[in-house]
Amino acid sequence: MVSTALEVNSLRKTYPLWRQEDVIALQDVSFSVKEGEVVGLLGPNGAGKTTAIKCICGLITPDTGSITFFEQNSNNPAEHVSAVLEGNRNIYWRLTARENLEFFAGLQGRSGVDPEIRSILERFSLNKKENTPARKLSRGMQQKLALGCSLIRGTDLLLLDEPTLGLDVKTSRDLRRYILKLASKEGKTILLSSHDMNVVEDVCERVIIINNGEVMADDKVDNLKDLFNIHIYKFTLKGRYKLDDIEENFDISESKYINGKTRFKVALKSSDSFYRLIDELQKSEIRLEKVQNLDSHLEEIFMNIIENDGGSVT
Amino acid sequence: MRDHIVLYSVLRKYFIETRRYILNMTMSIAGFLMLFLIVFFGLQSFGAEAETLKGSLVGFAMWIFAASAYSELSWNLIEEARNGTLEQLYLTPSSFRRISGYLVTSSFLFQFIMFAVFLGAMLLITGQRLALNPGVIVLIGLTLLSVYGLGYIMGGLSLVFKKVQAGNQILQFMFILFLVLPSFTDHPIIYFAPISWGNVLINRMMVGGVSLLDISMSNFLILAVNSLIYLLIGLAVFTYLEKVAKKRGLLGHY
Repeated sequence: MVSTALEVNSLRKTYPLWRQEDVIALQDVSFSVKEGEVVGLLGPNGAGKTTAIKCICGLITPDTGSITFFEQNSNNPAEHVSAVLEGNRNIYWRLTARENLEFFAGLQGRSGVDPEIRSILERFSLNKKENTPARKLSRGMQQKLALGCSLIRGTDLLLLDEPTLGLDVKTSRDLRRYILKLASKEGKTILLSSHDMNVVEDVCERVIIINNGEVMADDKVDNLKDLFNIHIYKFTLKGRYKLDDIEENFDISESKYINGKTRFKVALKSSDSFYRLIDELQKSEIRLEKVQNLDSHLEEIFMNIIENDGGSVT
Repeated sequence: MRDHIVLYSVLRKYFIETRRYILNMTMSIAGFLMLFLIVFFGLQSFGAEAETLKGSLVGFAMWIFAASAYSELSWNLIEEARNGTLEQLYLTPSSFRRISGYLVTSSFLFQFIMFAVFLGAMLLITGQRLALNPGVIVLIGLTLLSVYGLGYIMGGLSLVFKKVQAGNQILQFMFILFLVLPSFTDHPIIYFAPISWGNVLINRMMVGGVSLLDISMSNFLILAVNSLIYLLIGLAVFTYLEKVAKKRGLLGHY
């Protein structure tokens, strides 16, 4: 039976400021993550993602609320959780890749982990650099090493805060693949926070959207797509047009003029708004050449939830 | 929890990192040695007695030992916070206080080696002789407990306030005052100040040539109680400031 790996209940955290109003970082945040699940924590800057992750790790004391791991109350999160916080800033720069892995295994009280270390070095293509000091590794390798150091701790729950931040496209893709394998092949439970919608969409089955310290949405990515029923259309117009009037009423992006044609994308929530846009184009005597229906992306759903910060979707 | 594995890991990391910066360490020993020689030959040229010269030798070596041991904890916390590894140390099943205890142990072992090398070099250059009784290690260890207590206070302050280097420097120079205090006064303050009484007893062994067993139980207890009180106050202050840092979300910041 699948059990709950992490349960966060009514977490509240405020930061007192000297002679200013307190900053509310989290207000009544509740969610759970099932064993083996990969869940994304999404939110704009200052939404409360990192505070939530650090509260789970025990690095920040919440004002109220409770956190349970694997259905047990524990006052020592480190027995259940390992975390990669802020990308590559989790490793010792003067130690080599291997020494870092050995040190973090030792901190967990683990010995005889040499085969595991070798497997991690191989998996992350760090085996040729195992004796290179961490400071001499590329940023991507450092981030892989940081992930390796959290794996060697041997906990079943992994918290990854912005694991692909600052990585190039290829390394980011490699890392996403590793994260997916960790869940599917090794049964790890992963809570991942990221600004990058592509990372969350690629890796996570479920997404929790946080804004202003509150959970705005908590559902499977596909369900959110259905719920918001957002469709992205690509319009091609014959000739050059200024779209200022239309932009006032519609969420238009990537507008450009190439080879005598004006192209733009628009996110529309219903068929009504689609027809309204067509009407407006006709009224403005704009000559429409082609309309393509594109898949909706998590990014549009995210923007919709954040911009209509009225109610929550759970 | 297999504590011996954690202790071994912390020790190993400490020595690997120190070894990688061996040149820096050698240069700092050479710098202190030059500073000492200026003081020593200055005193000699003013016609200081042999006992004063030997006392200055022990006092100077103790100052280096105490100042380095003291700054180790707070400096380490600052470094770990700056590099982003402090939060990882908090994310271990052993409590951070235990990890820092292992760090203090590693630091003591290393500083003791440095102290021995430094003292040996000073004796060789100045041609002085000291009684090198192994029992002195017990007194040095006890004396340094008070220093580590102060280190914990400064370490805790660095968790919350971050920039505490100026305070560090002031305290390092205060150690000179604590060490020379017994030369000027026999006021009971020397029993209460950190490292003063320890330095008196260490001098009795290394300069006066008495053995550890010759030191009276009351004198030994004064040192032990003094050091333990400083250490306990240091740990209590550190625990309180650690809670403040966790409440304000300051652990990983620098």
